[in-house]
Amino acid sequence: MADKAIPLEINDLHKRFGDNPVLKGLSLKAHKGDVITLIGASGSGKSTFLRCMNLLELPDAGEIIVHGDPILFKQTRQGREPANWKQVELIRSRLSMVFQNFNLWAHMTLLQNVVEAPIHVLGISKEEARERGMALLGRVGLAERANYYPAQLSGGQQQRGAIARALAMEPEVMLFDEPTSALDPELVGDVLRVMRELADEGRTMVVVTHEMDFARDVSSQVMYLHQGLVEEAGPPSEVLLNPQSPRLKQFLAPNR
Amino acid sequence: MSVEQLLQTIAGYLNGNDIFTVNTLGMYWDGFVNTVQLVFISLLIGLALAVPLAIGRGSPLKLVSKSIWLYTYIFRGTPLLIQLYLAYYGFAFVPGIQDSWLWFFVQDPLYPALFAFTLNTAAYTTEIFHGAIKSTAKGEIEAARAFGMSKAMMMRRIILPSAFRRALPAYGNEVIFMLHASAIASVVTIMDLTGAAYYVYSRFYAPFPAFIFVAFIYMALSFSIQGFFRHLEKRLLVHLKPNNR
Repeated sequence: MADKAIPLEINDLHKRFGDNPVLKGLSLKAHKGDVITLIGASGSGKSTFLRCMNLLELPDAGEIIVHGDPILFKQTRQGREPANWKQVELIRSRLSMVFQNFNLWAHMTLLQNVVEAPIHVLGISKEEARERGMALLGRVGLAERANYYPAQLSGGQQQRGAIARALAMEPEVMLFDEPTSALDPELVGDVLRVMRELADEGRTMVVVTHEMDFARDVSSQVMYLHQGLVEEAGPPSEVLLNPQSPRLKQFLAPNR
Repeated sequence: MSVEQLLQTIAGYLNGNDIFTVNTLGMYWDGFVNTVQLVFISLLIGLALAVPLAIGRGSPLKLVSKSIWLYTYIFRGTPLLIQLYLAYYGFAFVPGIQDSWLWFFVQDPLYPALFAFTLNTAAYTTEIFHGAIKSTAKGEIEAARAFGMSKAMMMRRIILPSAFRRALPAYGNEVIFMLHASAIASVVTIMDLTGAAYYVYSRFYAPFPAFIFVAFIYMALSFSIQGFFRHLEKRLLVHLKPNNR
C-alpha cells in the first residue's frame, strides 16, 4: 500500500548494464528523519542504486514511491521507460542530490547555483530565492563566497555549496553520492560536519559513503550491498559493530 | 570640432594629393559602409540560424542531425567564392525566376552575396556551437536533470549559456574570418571596401596606395572586433580562470 507518510520507498529494484546485472532486487524504506547509509565495495551497485532513486539511471524493474506517489512506467521496444517525464521531473525536484564531483554549474556564481533550480524549477520569486540562498550559504559557512565561481573555490567549499544548492530545493529526501570521496582528507571534516547537522535536524537522507565513522554515528540504518544484493541491513549498532557475514567482517576489517 | 571643420581639415591634408581626393575617400567610405553592412547582417542572420541548427545537429533523430551535418559539410567543404558564384549567376538561370517577385532580389548582387555569406557563416558557426555544446561537462548536465529540469530548460539555462561562453574565442575568429572573406563580394560588382580600392587602383593605376590604404582599414576593423571579443571574454569567461580574485 502506498503510504503518504513515507518519503521514499523502493521495492525490488533491478538494473542491468547490457548483460551485466548490477542490481538484483533491492528494497528500501526511508521514514521521515531516517538517515540510511549504503556501504559496500566498489562494484557492489550502491551508487547505481542511489542513481536509480531519482531516475538518473532507469531501473529495469521495481517500484519507486515518493510520499505515496509511485513513479509510473510504460513498456517500449527499448525497455521500460517513465510514462510521464513531467512526473519524473517533479519527483526529482523533491529528492535533491549531492554528487561525488560536486557538479556545480561552472558558469554561475555560487549564489546563482543555489537559486537556479528554486527559481526556474520550483517557480519561487527571485527575491525570496536569493534571501533563502544567502541564508543557506551562511549555514554552510560560505556567505562571503556567494559571488565566487566554482573554479575559484576549494573542493570542500564546492561540496558545501552543492549541499546548499540541494537544500534550497527544500527536498523531502536528500541523496548523497559519495560526497567526500573526491576531497582531500583535510577537507572531508567540514563536509561531514554539515551533513551531521542536517541529520540532527531531522532531514531524511540516503547516503552512499565510505566514511564508516559517519555511518556508525549518524545513520539510523546501514545497508551493506554486495553484487547487487543487500547482504546485511539494520541499525549501525548491529551491522557495523556486530557484523554477521564473513564478507562484511572482511569489508569492515581495515576500519577496526 | 564640428563636422564642417573636420571636413575642412581633411580637405587641407588632401590638397595636392592626386589619389586621395574627397571623391575617392567618399568611395572608400561607401565601400566601408557596404562591407560592414554585408558582414554584420550575414553574421547576425547566420548566428540566429546557427543556434537552432547546432541544437538539431546533436539531435537523437538521425534525419535531423544528418541533414544538418550534410549542410555544414557542403558549405565548409567548398570555397565561399563558388557559393557566391552559384548564388549570383546560378539563381538567375532558374526557369521562370525572371517573371517572379524573386527577380528583384536576384538581379541585385547584394542579396545573392548576403545569401551565400549567411549560409556559409551559419555552417561554420553551427559546427563551433555544436562542438561547444558537446563538450558541456557531463556532471553539470546530470545535476540539471537531478534538480528536475526539463530538456528544454536544461538547454536554455545550463547547456547554451555554458557552451556560448566556451565558443566565444572560436566565434570571434569566425567573425574576423567573415570580414576578410567578404572582400570577394567585389567580384560580383558590389562596391565594398575591396571594390572601392580596386576602382581607385584602376583609375590611377596606383596599386600600392590604393590597396595598402584599404588593408589598413581592414586591419583597424579586425583589431576593433578582436578588442570587442577580448572584452566579452574577460567578462564572460571569468569562471574558467581560477583564483583570479
